[in-house]
Amino acid sequence: MNVDIRYQPAFATIFASLLPGESIIAEAGAMASMSPQLEMKARFNGGFFTAILRKIFGGETLFVNEFSCPRETNPGELVLTQSSPGDIAEIDLQGNTLLLTSGSFIACTPGVKLGLGFAGFASWLGKEGLFRLSVSGHGKVWIGGYGGVLKQNIQNELVVDTGHLLAYEPTISLSISLSGGIFSSFFSGEGFVSRIRGQGDIYLQSRSLDGLTSWTNKYL
Amino acid sequence: MNIEILCRPAASSALVKLNQGEELTAEVGAMIAMSPNLRVETTSRHRGAKGGIMKGIKRIFSGENFFLNHFTAAADDQELYIGPALMGDICTHNLRSETLIIQGSSWLASGTGIEVDTTFQGFGAALFSGESVFWVKCSGQGVVILNSFGAIYEIDVDGEYIVDTGHIVAFEDTLNFNISKAGSSWVSSFLGGEGLVCRFKGQGKLYCQTHNPPSFGQSLTPKLRPRQA
Repeated sequence: MNVDIRYQPAFATIFASLLPGESIIAEAGAMASMSPQLEMKARFNGGFFTAILRKIFGGETLFVNEFSCPRETNPGELVLTQSSPGDIAEIDLQGNTLLLTSGSFIACTPGVKLGLGFAGFASWLGKEGLFRLSVSGHGKVWIGGYGGVLKQNIQNELVVDTGHLLAYEPTISLSISLSGGIFSSFFSGEGFVSRIRGQGDIYLQSRSLDGLTSWTNKYL
Repeated sequence: MNIEILCRPAASSALVKLNQGEELTAEVGAMIAMSPNLRVETTSRHRGAKGGIMKGIKRIFSGENFFLNHFTAAADDQELYIGPALMGDICTHNLRSETLIIQGSSWLASGTGIEVDTTFQGFGAALFSGESVFWVKCSGQGVVILNSFGAIYEIDVDGEYIVDTGHIVAFEDTLNFNISKAGSSWVSSFLGGEGLVCRFKGQGKLYCQTHNPPSFGQSLTPKLRPRQA
């Protein structure tokens, strides 16, 4: 499988070429175009029960698609994208786990297991959903964000505005807190923030849809 | 006429250099800046073409504007900057008497030798895919300037190719498309969120856009408040 991410960072798009027998799993609706010999099959987003839980509490889609190139055909091309303009990051999993916030998952290779992680009430209050998509195993995962995608290695603690977090390692714990005192929290425009503690990698997006819509709302 | 595409792909703009007597027809509102010796004329029809008002009305159904702007250079080395409203890419396509079918809002401008008309692409496409019933049809000789939401990528179709609805920019009319299911079964296609796709057949050039304006719009609508009266 040869995967090329083009048009970074504004309109990052995944161009994958699948050899016969290879397959890739993608978020529902992520396909922009593909060669006709590729087969598409919908399946539950990590098993029946977890898919339903995640749909209800995590705001994720119930199904994901598996695109596969049948044996005895030519290699096929698959173009995958996200709904918002922005960057896409490729993450190599080597037995480790990553938790993804709602909407950031785009695609993964078949060796990656899609599961369910409890995100905690802090995450729910921070509008990030009660459950999280967890990706684990061996393979590649592609996540996307609105704006640029920033990778940060946390050694101790980091405060992140809600709506900017895309993914983090399970060694990291999230708690919700006010950005400052009661007064400054509500008048500074920051409101609630996520306090991230632990050691590991996190991925952030440099813009948030909430930011765009609250700006737009002023002019409607 | 010389066309240069600037700021690709995020916020593209086309810089068109016109010599005396040369003309360009562009979408209303596309002009960003221009030299003083360009004459602008607004009409409902393409230069020299007949049936102006009907064509204008048909154009509205294809998602374009009733009026067109014609820019004519009254001196040499006149510059014209044009760009669309949304963020995105611009590309050019040279026609040598073939026909190019363009998704409603992707037509930005074209040269004098190009006849801009609309074409009926079937109710199937419109009903099930959110595309327009009428598409813009460009034929003749000259250059057509296309715009998109997201970057534009080209596919040389030879046989068959599948594009999700909302990702088509333009295609040569040597290609035909029909609306069909994305997966091997109907259940799978709808559950998988892909629904209906366009299946292109034939031989020719196909332009796709990496991003889909309706799906970006739908991710914003739940967070927007109703317009104040």
